[in-house]
Amino acid sequence: MFFRILKKDLKRKKTMNIILLLFVILSAMFASASVNNISAVTGGIDHYLEIANVPDIVVYTMKDCKAMEEIEALPSVKETRIVEAVDIWSSKHFYHQGKQLETFINSAALYPVDDFSIRCFDSDNNVVGEVEKGSFYATSQFIKDTDIKPNDDVTIKIGDTDITLKYRGTIKCPVFSTESLSGPCLLLNHADYDVLYNEPEVMHAGIQMNVKTDDIRAVEDIVANYPADASCMKKEDYKGLFLYDMLAAYILMAISILLMLTAFVVLRFSIGFTISEEYREIGVMKAVGIDNSSIRKLYIAKYLAISVLGAVIGFAGSIPLGSTMMKTVSKNVVLEGKNSVVLGLISAAAVVLIILLFCYTCTRRVKKLSPIDAVRSGQTGERFRKKSIMHLGRSKLPSTGFLSVNDVLSAPKRFGIITLVFAVCLLLVTCMSNFVMTLKSDKIHMYFEIPETEVHILDAELFAPMMLDAAKSEELVTGVEETLRQKGIPAYCTTTQMILAETSYGDKKFGVMVSKMVGKTDYEFPVAEGSAPLKNDEIAVTASVLDALNAQIGDRIKARIAGKEYEFIITGRYETFMSPGARVSADFDCGHAEVNGSTGLNIHLLNRSDKARIPEISDILKKEYSTDKVYTTTGIIEALTGMTETMQGMKQMMLILTAVVTILIVVLMERSFISKERSEIALMKAVGISNGSIIAQHTLRFGIAAVIACILSAAALFPLSSALFSFVCKMIGDVTKIAVDYDAVEVFVIYPLLLIAAAVIGTFFTALYTKSIQASDTASIE
Amino acid sequence: MSTNTVLEAKGLCKTYIVNKHQNNVLKNVNLTVSEGEMIAVMGPSGSGKSTLLYCVSGMDRATAGEIFFNGRSTAKLSDKQLTRLRLDEMGFIFQQMYMMKNLSVLDNIILPAVKSKKNRESRRAIEERGRALMHRLGIDGVGGNDINEVSGGQLQRACIARSMINNPKMIFADEPTGALNRASSDDVMNELLSLNRDGTTILCVTHDPKVAAKCSRVLYIVDGGIMGEKEFGHFEGGDKELRDRERDLNNWLMEQGW
Repeated sequence: MFFRILKKDLKRKKTMNIILLLFVILSAMFASASVNNISAVTGGIDHYLEIANVPDIVVYTMKDCKAMEEIEALPSVKETRIVEAVDIWSSKHFYHQGKQLETFINSAALYPVDDFSIRCFDSDNNVVGEVEKGSFYATSQFIKDTDIKPNDDVTIKIGDTDITLKYRGTIKCPVFSTESLSGPCLLLNHADYDVLYNEPEVMHAGIQMNVKTDDIRAVEDIVANYPADASCMKKEDYKGLFLYDMLAAYILMAISILLMLTAFVVLRFSIGFTISEEYREIGVMKAVGIDNSSIRKLYIAKYLAISVLGAVIGFAGSIPLGSTMMKTVSKNVVLEGKNSVVLGLISAAAVVLIILLFCYTCTRRVKKLSPIDAVRSGQTGERFRKKSIMHLGRSKLPSTGFLSVNDVLSAPKRFGIITLVFAVCLLLVTCMSNFVMTLKSDKIHMYFEIPETEVHILDAELFAPMMLDAAKSEELVTGVEETLRQKGIPAYCTTTQMILAETSYGDKKFGVMVSKMVGKTDYEFPVAEGSAPLKNDEIAVTASVLDALNAQIGDRIKARIAGKEYEFIITGRYETFMSPGARVSADFDCGHAEVNGSTGLNIHLLNRSDKARIPEISDILKKEYSTDKVYTTTGIIEALTGMTETMQGMKQMMLILTAVVTILIVVLMERSFISKERSEIALMKAVGISNGSIIAQHTLRFGIAAVIACILSAAALFPLSSALFSFVCKMIGDVTKIAVDYDAVEVFVIYPLLLIAAAVIGTFFTALYTKSIQASDTASIE
Repeated sequence: MSTNTVLEAKGLCKTYIVNKHQNNVLKNVNLTVSEGEMIAVMGPSGSGKSTLLYCVSGMDRATAGEIFFNGRSTAKLSDKQLTRLRLDEMGFIFQQMYMMKNLSVLDNIILPAVKSKKNRESRRAIEERGRALMHRLGIDGVGGNDINEVSGGQLQRACIARSMINNPKMIFADEPTGALNRASSDDVMNELLSLNRDGTTILCVTHDPKVAAKCSRVLYIVDGGIMGEKEFGHFEGGDKELRDRERDLNNWLMEQGW
C-alpha cells in the first residue's frame, strides 16, 4: 500500500516532482563542482609542486662553478639532476609564417626534455614525457599576442643555424615562470636541442641543478659562497611564481562558495514549497487513521528517491562544470582535486542528507497538526495570518500592477528568497567586473612597487646590464633621462630593483624580496604603519615578515643581501603583492648584486603639457629604444599581472553561469507557482480576466523581485567586492585593503538590465503556460 | 430566436477523450433561456450538468453545436472576446467559493469591475459599489477581512457580490449552496431570488430540490441530454407556495427517475 501511494504520488504530481528533481540536480552539481574547486584551490600549488616532482631546492650555477661538486658531496643530498638550458636572447630570432616574432620581452630558455627531471604538463594536464624530433612545446608566453596554433611551423634563425620545428602546444611547469613578462621556456627533443646548443651565437645560460635533500640550509650556505656564480630557489619559493593564477583561483573559490549557498537556499525553498502542497493529503491520511510516523516515512521515502536520482545526475553534471570553471583559471597551473571523485560523491551524498534533513524538518509539523488543520494548508483555524496588506480600491496602481505587488507583499518569504538569489547572481558578475577594473586600474600601482609615473619601459635588452649588476641601474636611469631631455621632454626616471635576501631576528630566519627604488623621484611609497625607510640602515617590511620573524616596528633585524650581512631598524610596515617583501631606502647601496626582478623603467613627466601627449612620447621612446614594450601605468599593470585576460574569461563565464542560473531558477520557480496557483488562475479566467493580464501579473512579480535585487546588490556591491578582493589579496600577498575600481555603466546599468531582462523574459515564456489552464478547470480543482 | 432570449444552445455536444475512450458528456442539447428566468439544472451525478453550464457560459468550448448569447454566436468569438464577454456580461458562482487568497474580501469582489472597461468608473466609485453590494448581501462588516477569516456562508455571499459587480445579464451558478448548511443555503438562495426579481437571469446547477423549487423552470438532465423540463413560474415567496412547489417538483423528479 505504502509503495502504491508513493508511486501514484510521483506520477500524479509529475510537474512539481520534476521541478524538485531539477533543483536537486542543480544543487548537487554546484555543490560537487564547488567542493572540488575549493579543494583544488586550497591545496592547489602544493599539489602541483608535488605531482611535478619539484625538488627540495633548485640551484642555478655557471657551468664551471665549484658549488655543484660541493653540493653533490653533501651527505644530506639524496639525489641531484642536472640540466643545461640555452638562451635565445630575443624573440626576433623566431619566425612564424615567414614573420619575425616581436612578442615576448625576455629571452627564451630552451631545455632538452630527456634531461629535465621536473614534470611538465600539456594543456589537458597530461604529463609531457617526450617530445618528437622536429617539434617543441612552449610556455604560454611564447604564443601570447601571436596567431601560432598547435602544429604550426616555427623557424629559429640564429647565427648559421636555421631550424624549423613544429609547435605542439603549451606546457605548464612549476619552475617555469608564468608571469607575462618572463621569457618563455621551450621543451625540445635532445637532437634539436643539440643543434642549437652547438650554435656559437646561442647563450649558454648555465646549469640548473635539481637537488633532493634533507638539509636545504646546507645547500643554501654553499650557494651563498658563490654570489656571482650561483643562486638557488627552494620549493616553497616557486609558489610566488603563481601569484596571479592563485588570485584567479581564489576568486573562483569565492564564487563557488556563493554558488553553493545559492543552490541550497533555492533547494530549501523548493522543498518547503512542495511539502506545503502536500498538507491537504497529509490531513486526509491523518483523518483516515494513518499514524504520523507512517506519513513522515512516506514523504521522506519520496524525497529520498528524488534526491538520490538528482544527486547522481548532479554529480555527473558537476564533472564538466567543475572542469570548465577550473580551466578558466588554470592555464598556467595544474589545479586538480586530489580526490575529486570521492569529494564529488561526498558532496552529492551531503545534498541527499541535507534534503532529507529539510524534509524531516518540514514534515515535523505533521505531528502537531490535527487532520483538519492539515487540510487547511497547515494553518490552524484560530491563527490565520493576514495576507492582504494593500487595498485595490485605494491603490493608484493599475490592476495588474496591483495584483503583482500585492502577491509579492503577501508572500514576502517566497519572493524574498527569489530576490536574494537574484541579488547574489548579480553580485557574482558585478564583483567580477570590479575585480577586473581594479586590476586594470592605476590605483594598485604601488602594490606592484611602481611609483606614480606616466610612462613605463619594459625591455629585456635595455635592462640586461642592470639585471646582472645592480650598480648599473643608476647609469640606465640617468641615460634615459638624458635622452628624454635631448628630445625636449624633461622627466624623472626610476626603476625598482628586487633582490632575493634572507632576513633574521634572533633565531628566526625568513627569505624576502628586498626592493629598492633607484633614480630621482618626488614619489614616496606609502606605508600602512610607521614610516618609510629614509636612511641606509632603515627598512620597511610586510606583515608576513614581521610575523615570520616575530619582530615589531622599532626592532633591529639582520639581512643577508648578495652574500653581505646588513643590520636594519624596522621603521614601518607596508603592503605589497611582491611579498614577503622588505623595502630599503633609495640611499642603500646594493653593490654589484644580481637583480632578481624589476618593475621596469618608470618615467615621470615633469611638464604638465607632456602628460597630454603620452601616446606621442611613447612612440618617441619606442623608436629610440627599438622596442614596442612601452606602456602607460594601466598597461604595465596588465603586462605585469597578465590577469586581465583570465579575469575577463572568468567574467564571461560568470555572466553565462549567472544567466543560466537566473533563467533556470525563474523557469522552475514560476512553473511551481503556476502549479500552486492553478485554481486562482482558472478562477481569474472564469471571472473574465484575460490571459494577457495573468501573464503580465506573473511576469511583473519576477520583474519586481529582479528590480529589488538590483537595488540590494548595488548597495552591497562595494562592501562585498571590497571584502572579497581584500580577502583574496590577503591570501596571495601582504595586502589587506584595496580600494576597488568600477565601471559604473557596467555594474549599475548593463548587468542589472541583463538580470531584469533574463528574469522578465524567463518568466514571460514560462507564464505562457497559464494559457493551457482553462476557466472550466475551476470545476476540477482539488 | 425570440426578442427576450438571453441564451440559446442548439445541438450542443461535448466529448472528452479519456485514455483513448470517447466520453460523450453532452448529446445534442437544445436550450433557450429568456431574460429574467431563473432556471435550475438537475440530474444525477455525472449527467453533464456542470459541463452544460461551462459550455453555455463560454468557460469551455463545445465539441459541436451553436451557442448564442444575447444574439451573438459564441463559437465565432476568440478566446479574448469570450473572456471579455464573461467579464462584462456574465457572473459566476461556484460551489467551492473560490477567491484570490492574497486579496481581501472586498478586493475580491471589486476585482472584475476594476478589470472591466465597460464603465469608466473611478476606483473609489467601484469600491463604493462593492461596499453597497456587501451591505445588500448582509456582509458589510467583512470587507477588509482575508478570505480565511470569514464563514462559508459569508464567503458565498461575497462570491455572489463579485458575480454582480459588473451588472451582468446572466449569472451562472454551479451548486451555489452545495457547501453550505441549510440556514446559509436559504440566505444565498434568497439573495439569488432577489437578484432575479431585479431582472438578472440565472442558470443554476443544483442537487437540492429545495433550491430548485425556488426557480421558475427546472431542467432534468440524464446522460448528457435534457430528459424533462418543468415550468413553475416565478416564486413569489411564502412558505406555503414553497411547500407546494417542492411537492410538485419531487413528484416530477420521481417521474423522471430521480
